[in-house]
Amino acid sequence: MNDLIIVVPLVIALFAVFVLLLIPRRKSLKAGSGPFPFSHTDAIPTAKHYGYFPQIRRALSAEDSQYLLETAPPDVAKRALRERRAVARHFLQGLHEDFSNLARLGRVIAALSPEVSREQETERLILSLKFQLLYVLVWLRLSAGNLPLQQLEQLTGLVGRLATRMDAAMAQISALSADRLSSGLGV
Amino acid sequence: MNQLETLLAWSTMAFEAAVCGFVFARRAQRELPFFAAYTAVLFANSIGIWIVYRAFGFDSQMAYYWYWIALLLNAVARSLAIAELCWYKLHDYRGIWELVWRLLICVSMLFLFHAAFDTWGQPNRLAIYSLTLDRDLDIASVGILGVLLLIHNYYGLSLKPLQRTIAAGICFICAVDVIVDSTVQKLFTGYLFPLFAANRTPLWASLEPEIARVKDLFGTIHLLCFMAAMGIWCYALRRPLPAPSEGPTMLPAEVYREMSPAINMRLATFNNRLVELLKP
Repeated sequence: MNDLIIVVPLVIALFAVFVLLLIPRRKSLKAGSGPFPFSHTDAIPTAKHYGYFPQIRRALSAEDSQYLLETAPPDVAKRALRERRAVARHFLQGLHEDFSNLARLGRVIAALSPEVSREQETERLILSLKFQLLYVLVWLRLSAGNLPLQQLEQLTGLVGRLATRMDAAMAQISALSADRLSSGLGV
Repeated sequence: MNQLETLLAWSTMAFEAAVCGFVFARRAQRELPFFAAYTAVLFANSIGIWIVYRAFGFDSQMAYYWYWIALLLNAVARSLAIAELCWYKLHDYRGIWELVWRLLICVSMLFLFHAAFDTWGQPNRLAIYSLTLDRDLDIASVGILGVLLLIHNYYGLSLKPLQRTIAAGICFICAVDVIVDSTVQKLFTGYLFPLFAANRTPLWASLEPEIARVKDLFGTIHLLCFMAAMGIWCYALRRPLPAPSEGPTMLPAEVYREMSPAINMRLATFNNRLVELLKP
């Protein structure tokens, strides 16, 4: 029965994945739903979570932690630190969302481009997979409590700069596409 | 044929006729000609098999050969319908289509080579050969549809409801068939195979009812699932099809040439930063 043990669950799993993939997604592109930039950029916010970083940084600052450890009873300090780690994890999830939006922007541009480079697409796929792996590792280290929270600041700064550039790039694309549409319509 | 087999055969034919009727009434052949051909082949094969059963008998050699030929014809028509589903939406996105058609061909060839290789090693008796080929083609269908859906999902595209339902129906039929074929094949090539040796001939008569029972059971499961898939297709075709939509407005090629390397570079920088975070 060895073959069956492998084949039957594999097929059931494949079918389940297939059904999941078939569920319509809110953000999917629709052919003929209109020109790209105006309908799709709204669905692709480049970054939003990094904007909350100042508040998060204050809440997670080392001084605060030190103060807690020195003044609060041990169990209260421990609980507070645990809750801070949970906040940091949520924030990391938000950063993950920001990253995913930026990567998705790349895919949307590829989908609507008449020419696509295989190397670029392969590279982006590998980068996204690598990011997923790294994200899990960072998340685990953060949960285990051996990742300094301050390091998140550097990460957030990077995403913030990236998001700003992407917003500018999206504006350029919108302008370019609008010009092209106008010229195509003879306006 | 017993009463159950007769009932299932008539029900299947009724469902196939209904799907065929819906397809041509809704003029789906204009949009999906190979799927329309697939439904027509299914219906024609069922009628053909029924005529052969009536003319030559259910257990005749002719019925046996006709059944397996019809099965392979169905598999070919289904493969074409799947190829059409792959082409249907993706060809609007020229860049992506140029990129993925080779991938889809490679995946298809991989599965077909696997099917040929797997079938080659099977003993040519009790239709194990055809059973294995059919099973492997089913696996190929599920695999290719899975890859197609992954590509759609990755690039944020979506199939129209009708195409999605057709893909779901094909995948459902194939998934059930893979399980049924694998089980039957395992029974014949595994536990029961030694009993088919020449020196066990006297045992064959006593085995016959057991084999017939297994065939009935799995045949019933197969046909019920097949009818369920037909029902899904009928449901999807109950309303007139929407007018074909225009393709997406493409961006100028330079947008991709400029933006894509920049995005990838930034993503790489982001990953490098994550790696630095993980360093002790």
